[in-house]
Amino acid sequence: MATTESPALCTYELPLTAADAPPGPRVRLRGLLPAPLLVKNELWFCRLRWIAIGILLVFAAAGHAPGLFARLGLRASPLWPFVSAGVLTIANVAFLIHARLLDRSPSPSRGVAVNLWGQIVIDLLVLTVVVHFIGSVETCVPFVYLFHIVLACIFFSLRQSAIVAILACVLYVGCVAGEVTGLIPPAGMYGDSLLRLQIEHAPTTLAANVATALAIWTGGWYLVSKLSGMVRERDHRLAEANQRMELAQAEKARHMLRTTHELKAPFAAIHANTQILLGNYCGELPPEAHHVLERIARRCARLSMEIQEMLQLSNLKSDTEKAQLRFATLDVSQVLRQCIGQLKPVAQERRISIEEALEHAEAYVVPDHAMMLFANLLSNAIHYSHEGGQVHVRCYARPSGEAAAQVADHGIGIPGDKLPHIFDEYYRTDEAARHNRESTGLGLAIVRHVAQTHGLHVRVDSRPGDGTTFTVTFPPCSCSEAIQTEAYHESSDDR
Amino acid sequence: MSRVMIVDDDEDFATAAATVLKSLGHDVGVHLEARGALEVLEKAKPDLVILDVMFPEDSAAGFEIARGIRERRDTIGSVPVLLLTAVNAKFPLGFGAKDLSNDFLPADDFLEKPVDMTVLCQRASALLAK
Repeated sequence: MATTESPALCTYELPLTAADAPPGPRVRLRGLLPAPLLVKNELWFCRLRWIAIGILLVFAAAGHAPGLFARLGLRASPLWPFVSAGVLTIANVAFLIHARLLDRSPSPSRGVAVNLWGQIVIDLLVLTVVVHFIGSVETCVPFVYLFHIVLACIFFSLRQSAIVAILACVLYVGCVAGEVTGLIPPAGMYGDSLLRLQIEHAPTTLAANVATALAIWTGGWYLVSKLSGMVRERDHRLAEANQRMELAQAEKARHMLRTTHELKAPFAAIHANTQILLGNYCGELPPEAHHVLERIARRCARLSMEIQEMLQLSNLKSDTEKAQLRFATLDVSQVLRQCIGQLKPVAQERRISIEEALEHAEAYVVPDHAMMLFANLLSNAIHYSHEGGQVHVRCYARPSGEAAAQVADHGIGIPGDKLPHIFDEYYRTDEAARHNRESTGLGLAIVRHVAQTHGLHVRVDSRPGDGTTFTVTFPPCSCSEAIQTEAYHESSDDR
Repeated sequence: MSRVMIVDDDEDFATAAATVLKSLGHDVGVHLEARGALEVLEKAKPDLVILDVMFPEDSAAGFEIARGIRERRDTIGSVPVLLLTAVNAKFPLGFGAKDLSNDFLPADDFLEKPVDMTVLCQRASALLAK
């Protein structure tokens, strides 16, 4: 008998929302900074190392100058600085080539640690040789180890920097122990070895000196690694917050896109079907029905536009949006050309010609916002012109460098007492409402928000019955950048 | 007479557009899902595809279908595509005519919804005449 298998049971549990979810485990900081940043630092270390090599070579050359070291009370020993400089040069060239290769590599993370640890180990070994020849107990040169410990604290994790600190301590103690026990022949650059002999023959003093140096390095390691860890954790949190904000912004944009679609799509269907009836595809309609359908179609189109503008306005007002604005330097004439291209069919429908005089003029703005601003100004100029009229669009760079744009019509104009209100949401003059019933009253509110966000100067010149001219002046690029920062801080304060 | 395929999840709109295009003498087919659209198009071998961008399960399904059409070089790769969208370049993640390109958005033209049927007929005729 054939058996029929029932479909497998599928289970799904609705996850908690992000707000309700319990806090995740505290983020453990990874030891290393991001690989590209580390590669940049490796290149910087290589450049610094040339300075150290230069100092060693100068020291070696000075050793050859007859009588110079003797006059300074130093012992001439020209060989070890040359050898140290040579070893460092060979190693540095290798590190430099490797770091440059890593810099060009798309995934440098593997070799970064090798390069960094290689540099630290070679540096510490050469430094120990230098410390031995200059004087391990009678000079302050051993404190150069501290530089390496501090750098390790900045670039490595607590554990890794501790390894560097321990390595420095072991090398130094090994050097001193070797010298004291006679395993390594005594050295030192002071001509008079009395000081060294006194220290070496006073074990307590020697131990105290070495212990002090080790204590200072250990203390330095602890303080710097602690501070560095705190700074790194703060950076990490900032990066996380930034990432969350970017995700929220992308989610918001997606939501808006979907909302727009969901709200506009039904109107598109109603609009299409009213056109079927109006076009007599389903047979001739009585004039009265035709008239009613025309009214339905008009209201439909207006509601659709209103939804779009409401969403745009809400997006402009949003704090998150303000904080995430992506400014760019662009040519205003290009934006105007795009707007003209978009609105040409509307102008043709109303038999309105658009006269362009567009010169190259740069402004530092959010490209989408500039599009919204000019599309609304141009749309208004077309809609409030008389049929068969002309709209003039021009843009130019002022002698001071500011970009300016003008949109002028010869339409119905705006009475002077109403000018201060035209940028209010849903405000329409009686004349405008009579002339263009489909207006939403949101277009100039969008213009106002864009202007305020960018610090634009918008001037309106109008004469009822004669037309209106809108002049937009963009601030110079440096001022725009300051306004952008201000907008960011404002939005941060609001939160 | 040309064969036109409309791929749109909005049945009301698609039927209305089909009615208008049929009145011009075209043979019009309608497919209401993104799923299986490419197979339907390959079978129908249309002269023009009118394609919506957003579908219920995938906001960018129309883009994928448009790219899929171009990839089928041997069958429907050269069929002109007219994209329809309810969102325009003024929106974040929206797009406009400037975004049409063979790599990113392989379409020949695009119209924003609500679509004026006269304009739709003009654009369709222009693409069919190419």
